[in-house]
Amino acid sequence: MKLPKFMLLVASVTCLCLLYVCQQTEIFRLAYVGQKRSILLRDSLDKNTMLRYNINKNTSLVLLNDRITASNFEMPDSYRVVKVPGVSQGTAADHRSSSLKSLAASVFGIKRQAEARTIDRR
Amino acid sequence: MHIVNNRRRVNAVFLFFFAFLLFCIARLSLIQFFRADYFAKIAQKQHNLFVELEPRRGAIYDLNLKPQAVNVSADSLYASPNGMADRDKDTAIKSLPSILNLDHSFLKDRLYRKKSFVWLARKISPSQKGAIEKLGIKGLGFLKESKRSYPNSYLASHIVGFCGLDNVGLEGIELRYDKYLKGSQGWSLILRDARQKRLDLEQKMALPVDGYDVVLTIDEVIQYIAERELEKAFKAYRAFAASIIVMDPRTGAILAMVNRPTFDLNQYNNIDKDRRRNRSVSDLFEPGSVFKIVTASAALEEKKVVEQDKFFCENGAYKVGGHILHDHRPHGWLTFREVIEQSSNIGTAKVAQVLGPEIIYKYVKSFGFGAKSGIDLPGEISGMAKEPRFWSKTTMSAIPMGQEVGVTALQLASAISVIANGGQLMKPHIVKEIRDKQGETIKSFSPVSVRRVISEDTANRVKKILTGVVETGTGRMAKIPGFTAGGKTGTAQKLEPNGAYSHRKFIASFIGFAPAEEPLIAIVVTLDEPRPYYFGGVVAAPVFKNVAADVLRYLKNKNPVNEVLASNESQRTD
Repeated sequence: MKLPKFMLLVASVTCLCLLYVCQQTEIFRLAYVGQKRSILLRDSLDKNTMLRYNINKNTSLVLLNDRITASNFEMPDSYRVVKVPGVSQGTAADHRSSSLKSLAASVFGIKRQAEARTIDRR
Repeated sequence: MHIVNNRRRVNAVFLFFFAFLLFCIARLSLIQFFRADYFAKIAQKQHNLFVELEPRRGAIYDLNLKPQAVNVSADSLYASPNGMADRDKDTAIKSLPSILNLDHSFLKDRLYRKKSFVWLARKISPSQKGAIEKLGIKGLGFLKESKRSYPNSYLASHIVGFCGLDNVGLEGIELRYDKYLKGSQGWSLILRDARQKRLDLEQKMALPVDGYDVVLTIDEVIQYIAERELEKAFKAYRAFAASIIVMDPRTGAILAMVNRPTFDLNQYNNIDKDRRRNRSVSDLFEPGSVFKIVTASAALEEKKVVEQDKFFCENGAYKVGGHILHDHRPHGWLTFREVIEQSSNIGTAKVAQVLGPEIIYKYVKSFGFGAKSGIDLPGEISGMAKEPRFWSKTTMSAIPMGQEVGVTALQLASAISVIANGGQLMKPHIVKEIRDKQGETIKSFSPVSVRRVISEDTANRVKKILTGVVETGTGRMAKIPGFTAGGKTGTAQKLEPNGAYSHRKFIASFIGFAPAEEPLIAIVVTLDEPRPYYFGGVVAAPVFKNVAADVLRYLKNKNPVNEVLASNESQRTD
């Protein structure tokens, strides 16, 4: 083998070796970076689990009962609960009362109170 | 002469180096061809690290998928005694006991061992970890481990059970379903760098298989209601122990199971074994008058009596087999229906005489007494029901009114469910299904009918009698406003150590169902040694009333919500 050919072969093999080493180094570098990120991710997941656990614990009926008992909270009896009519029922009742008011206003000339209305700006 | 000498020297040096070369070649050949495996193993040990990968233990959920047992990661403290300076060891021995509540001698023993790894404390709290980190002692380190935690502390503690330090189930569902919950361990061969630090580049790996989740039939809300009411009665009557079971009579599913005394699942270490026992399945007691439902069912099913048949109750005292039987209140003539409503012992004994021992024993066994129910909880006992050939002269009148027979609260719950559901003995179960991580059902537990005990007609007739017990009989304090209910009271004398019945120690109980027309729940309440009051109708019946009222309201409100959600879901899919 002639010297130039030999030198070329040696140079290319050396380049390949260097490339391989470089690639391996990069793999290890990325592994260290990945490891750091994975630790961060694991810590975040742990915190998430811990927070979920705390939420569950704080909303558990046992704890709520203890707090309610400690604060002397009393559930209102049925006669103390205000019953609010549904939206459709409420609107119908409002229409009925306003039409009665209009009738009274037209017969006796009583001015109706100002009513707030939504304004369509279009 | 000078040149010759030089050549000799050169030859000598050459020979020396040549011999050295030969030696090196020989040595290398020896290493390469004969000791390669040995050195490769040493190198592998230095470069690789074998790590066991812990699987995630399955969670335990209630019927509505509210978590009852979950995994939270916790830090465990270790030390490397071989690499620790004596000064660091002494600092650790001085400072750690106050943070970790450990003994000086324990730490001294651990830190002066000739080992490269020793555990000092497992699964410590974040605050403890922070305090140790502040000390900055070299040679101490932390490893993350998964710790079993229970968000509801003492709610359903006897059912859920708990795990040991190594996440192995020790009690309750944790123990019974350990094989599903634990999963299987994985392993990984990872690289170590020159500083012996872990580098997460896997050489070989077998992934761990996570455990399955277990979904219980227990409803957290119903469990809470039962816990709350039983706790009130347990404290008010200063009872020695107490139990309550809420069961769906149609399926045998346990909706709630409570025992007192109880314990906090997150601190099971400091609790004595007596508090950890699931008394509902592992404690035997004489049931007393609640057992009369068996006698009544047998009498009606065998068509030996009808509701209007009259029995003379001897005005409160009746001699049977050399013993005088008493009623808690003297009665004259009572119909069969009134015998049960007023819980007359004498009347029941006379009904039993009509039936005979063989029939009574047949129904005792048929209702599930004297045999394990097969519930999926550890520690269940079979109870005690003597065969007629072992009966004494008094047994004939004792068993029909709940003496000389040993039962568990769970067996009573199954028995009252037979009446409530129209005559079928259902196998009680506490696990609804087992799911994988993605929520896919791996195994589901559907209701199992064990046998038909009585006909539907008989069940309805007994149901009417038991409704009478609540309306006008001994169980009036169990009457639920707005709902109908049926049930039976029981006040059983406990046995003294000398074998005689005690006049001071009683077991008060109430078994019942509601609503009477189409029962949704069957409830058993027992209080062991309540004082100053001890009658089942006074002590246990109000607990039934309060639990049944709240549970029925809850179920009534829960189902419409579910129906609305289901209809919304179907509209969306359409």
